[in-house]
Amino acid sequence: MPAPPRLPTGVVPENFTEPAKRIHDGADLQFFLQSLAYRDVVTFILQLNRSMVPRKRIADNTIHEYRLDGMQQQDLLPQVKAILDLLNRLQTFIEDAPPDTGPRRFGNVSFRKWYKLVEDGLDAMLAEILPSKTQPAIVELKAYLLGSFGSAQRLDYGTGHELSFLAFLAALWKLGYFTSPAQSSTTSHPNNNTDSTSTIERQIVLSLFQTYLSLIRSLIQVYNLEPAGSHGVWGLDDNSFLPYIFGSAQLAPAIPEDNPSSPSPPIPTPTSGSLPSAVDPTIITKPTQVDAEAKSNLYFSSIQFIYTVKRGPFWEHSPMLFDISGIKDGWGKINKGLIKMYEAEVLGKFPVVQHFVFGSIFRWEKDPDAKVVQQTTHSTSHPLRNPMVGAGGVASTRPGQGVGTAAPWASVGGGGTATAPTGFVNGVTQAPWARQAGSQRPLHPPPPSLSGSRGGLSASLLRGPERRPVSAASANELKLAAKTAETIPEGKEVGDGN
Amino acid sequence: MARCAALLRQQMMRPEFLRRAWMSQLNEDGDEEASFSFPSSLIGLERWRLPQEGCVEFDQPRSSIVRSIRDNFEAIEEDATDLAIAQLRACRPIPEPQVRELCYKARELLIEEGNVVTVDAPVTICGDIHGQFHDLMELFRVGGDVPDTNYLFMGDFVDRGFYSLESFLLLLCLKVRYPDRITLIRGNHESRQITTVYGFYDECIRKYGSANVWRYCCEVFDYLALGALILGASTEVPENRMQEKTFDTQTTLPDQESEIECEVLDANGEVREKLFRSQGNMNPASASRKSPAPDRDPAESSSPATTVSQPPTSPSQSNTKPPTASLFQPPSTTTGSLLCVHGGLSPLISTLNAIRLLDRKQEVPHEGAMCDLLWSDPDDIEGWGLSPRGAGFLFGSDIVRHFNHKNDLSMIARAHQLVMEGYKEMFSKQIVTVWSAPNYCYRCGNVAAILELGEDGSHGGCIRRANGSEGRREMVGGSVNSVGDGETTNGSNQNGGGLNAVLWNLATPGRRYRVFEAAPQGTRGMPAKKPVGEYFL
Repeated sequence: MPAPPRLPTGVVPENFTEPAKRIHDGADLQFFLQSLAYRDVVTFILQLNRSMVPRKRIADNTIHEYRLDGMQQQDLLPQVKAILDLLNRLQTFIEDAPPDTGPRRFGNVSFRKWYKLVEDGLDAMLAEILPSKTQPAIVELKAYLLGSFGSAQRLDYGTGHELSFLAFLAALWKLGYFTSPAQSSTTSHPNNNTDSTSTIERQIVLSLFQTYLSLIRSLIQVYNLEPAGSHGVWGLDDNSFLPYIFGSAQLAPAIPEDNPSSPSPPIPTPTSGSLPSAVDPTIITKPTQVDAEAKSNLYFSSIQFIYTVKRGPFWEHSPMLFDISGIKDGWGKINKGLIKMYEAEVLGKFPVVQHFVFGSIFRWEKDPDAKVVQQTTHSTSHPLRNPMVGAGGVASTRPGQGVGTAAPWASVGGGGTATAPTGFVNGVTQAPWARQAGSQRPLHPPPPSLSGSRGGLSASLLRGPERRPVSAASANELKLAAKTAETIPEGKEVGDGN
Repeated sequence: MARCAALLRQQMMRPEFLRRAWMSQLNEDGDEEASFSFPSSLIGLERWRLPQEGCVEFDQPRSSIVRSIRDNFEAIEEDATDLAIAQLRACRPIPEPQVRELCYKARELLIEEGNVVTVDAPVTICGDIHGQFHDLMELFRVGGDVPDTNYLFMGDFVDRGFYSLESFLLLLCLKVRYPDRITLIRGNHESRQITTVYGFYDECIRKYGSANVWRYCCEVFDYLALGALILGASTEVPENRMQEKTFDTQTTLPDQESEIECEVLDANGEVREKLFRSQGNMNPASASRKSPAPDRDPAESSSPATTVSQPPTSPSQSNTKPPTASLFQPPSTTTGSLLCVHGGLSPLISTLNAIRLLDRKQEVPHEGAMCDLLWSDPDDIEGWGLSPRGAGFLFGSDIVRHFNHKNDLSMIARAHQLVMEGYKEMFSKQIVTVWSAPNYCYRCGNVAAILELGEDGSHGGCIRRANGSEGRREMVGGSVNSVGDGETTNGSNQNGGGLNAVLWNLATPGRRYRVFEAAPQGTRGMPAKKPVGEYFL
């Protein structure tokens, strides 16, 4: 893996627009993987990832690690501090929206109160911290930040929301927010890889991102937020992914610091081996050792959180992490694998990225330099999601299907309406093809002929807002529809169900 | 013969045997007798010839060996299933060829079942399992083993947990071995599409390296019944088989006040709560002291809290609310039937016959009656509502009351929703949610429950379905001046505008809930780490 380029900073678009969802089906997903937005997201992740890898100073052979507990408050850039304060304020909102003690199943409805407080206050809070030049960007920044706390409707949180926060940070980066006004002229070149400038990235990860994770963990625990789109125990983690990437980078072997005097090409990010002092990955099954490492490392901080929310043998409730801990080639290898896995299992998964929004910062445009199709990563990982296509053949013998094949439920949502992700609502499973009931976009009107058509019935039901008793009028309509529908022979009814 | 069968049985359990065996052509070696058609359920192929090595063991002509296999076929098959059951009980997956064979047999069996299976009480009803194998073992410990206990599982065997495969295959094996002692109906997770999203597919890939086993299982899913109708359930709580002898003498004493309608037992068979007939409603809400914020059905919150906790049977308390002078004394032993379904009702289904007419042998559709039965949820609304799940509907108490009335049902049992207390009765006991996956997803902290129904001895398992026969019905949702039965609650008075007529419903069956927690994890050893796959190569 060559040294990754850095995301250009200080490039402010002329017009900002309300970002919108673009990924509606498999073809859109394929386009996304070759879009400018995808490029920017991946670039930013690799950039942050590299910044977390320890550095070795050639001169005195000393190794610098970047630890969570090595971050001094007084060293923080004022811009970073401002975002930090914002996140801490959101944390205090929890006190203003105490968990509901009334009837509940699992997820706590008071999360919606908290969310509303954030939603209402976010414009003002962002306006406070942004320089006047970037004020117009609030409309876009807000979408990413608000999208990063989980779903108020479904009371769940997953990697899609985490991605949204990363996009928020990347958007600030692109707008030049983190580079102080004095430095604003020094727009980074794509290959400007002097590690000394990685200080900002390190602060972003160790301070901002970790504080964000703390906030999320509070929300998950206080409001019992549920995993969004979970593969049961077979996903990496119920909620998070990025901290495992950044945390494994923290323990990768050190990169020799660039010598400013020699113009040699930058050293690539290590893909195997570990820092000599790094802890062994196998300690994840030992909670006390995990607790000790959690203070300094993002990976173990996440493992520690798993221990606080889950009961049972670790290898049973988190088999992926358990198996990863058996990798012999060190944290560099784990880091590389996790990045590949992230591209395939998060960025390449329709249920996750269908909620990502696009505007002028993250553009829904083809990246002219995009590789044709990343066959290796995506197609080899993807057949798992495509088993229905080839009832006869072995799924993994279907390269090229890749992410391009529409998810079975993708077209069901009906064009413009985004489908809801796959979480479980109130401790229950949600249909992968579910429409998002709270969607701003209007649902399709029912077909003109309601009579006798099951589709018509569903459509008329779907018109109402979610979880509200159907009003008297619509209830009558429903009964009528149900009555008409009843007259159809049931056998035929379901026969055309799919 | 016995030796032959035993040896053959051993051979057949071994994959090498299957590999060595080959297709035999009739008359190939001129031995008409030697060649006969094995039922393909045994091994999966139409015709088999014994491997030469196997024949050497027997000092007899091949034809007689084949004859002996044929004659002992059922015994051999049963033994093979028993071996598979033993292996699965030890939480070890069975080899792929055997899964294939098992699924074939199961399909042959399930295809004979109707969309709505008729089950005679006594029966123990269980909710979602979700691959929590060790908790399923705990369930069998608490509820009794198969075939001693007659079980009905309401779907969602797979997904989320670590042992979907072992759990489902064990249940399927038990079904094949004891078809009349265990009933499996389909849940919304018994679907190709859902299992690819929620873990079962990934699990099969991880455990077998290919999707074949997943595919076999999905084929079985398509044959699972959509519901079950329980007949002959008693109004009395079933005899407590699992209880200590000392308790037995107490419970068999003639009840002085009134019969027990519902009781809640913990995993050790200790009675936690009792409810006497005509006293009110049983809810984990009023029962559980551990949860101050119970999941209570508002319609029932006004009913008097008459739950008597330990020590059981307190005459003074049960006297505080004297037996009402109801014209409709609770029936002696007869109830209506119970419908068991994974999710709930559908606006397209108004009678049980409508369910029977569905063509169920297919992937669960995204909409329509079959989908609704597996996806819908009861909710505190009137009529039908939009489900936040994106499939199925929400339905209110009026819908349930009408459906039960119309179909002579005393109750609907369903699963599909996590309930922290393990079970939840709603709508004046017209519907109950049973949840059998404790500490769901390793993190929810809930307990699980199973529901036992007793047998109505007087009718020998065959119930008269006469509508409105005397003494069989209780009033529900009646007017204020009606008999002061616990059924008459504010909640039920409010709903059903235009519903002035009194509805009569069948007596609620006696219910025993056994509540249990997640199995202790002490016995589970840590496995070896597996290679993580291509990302980390």
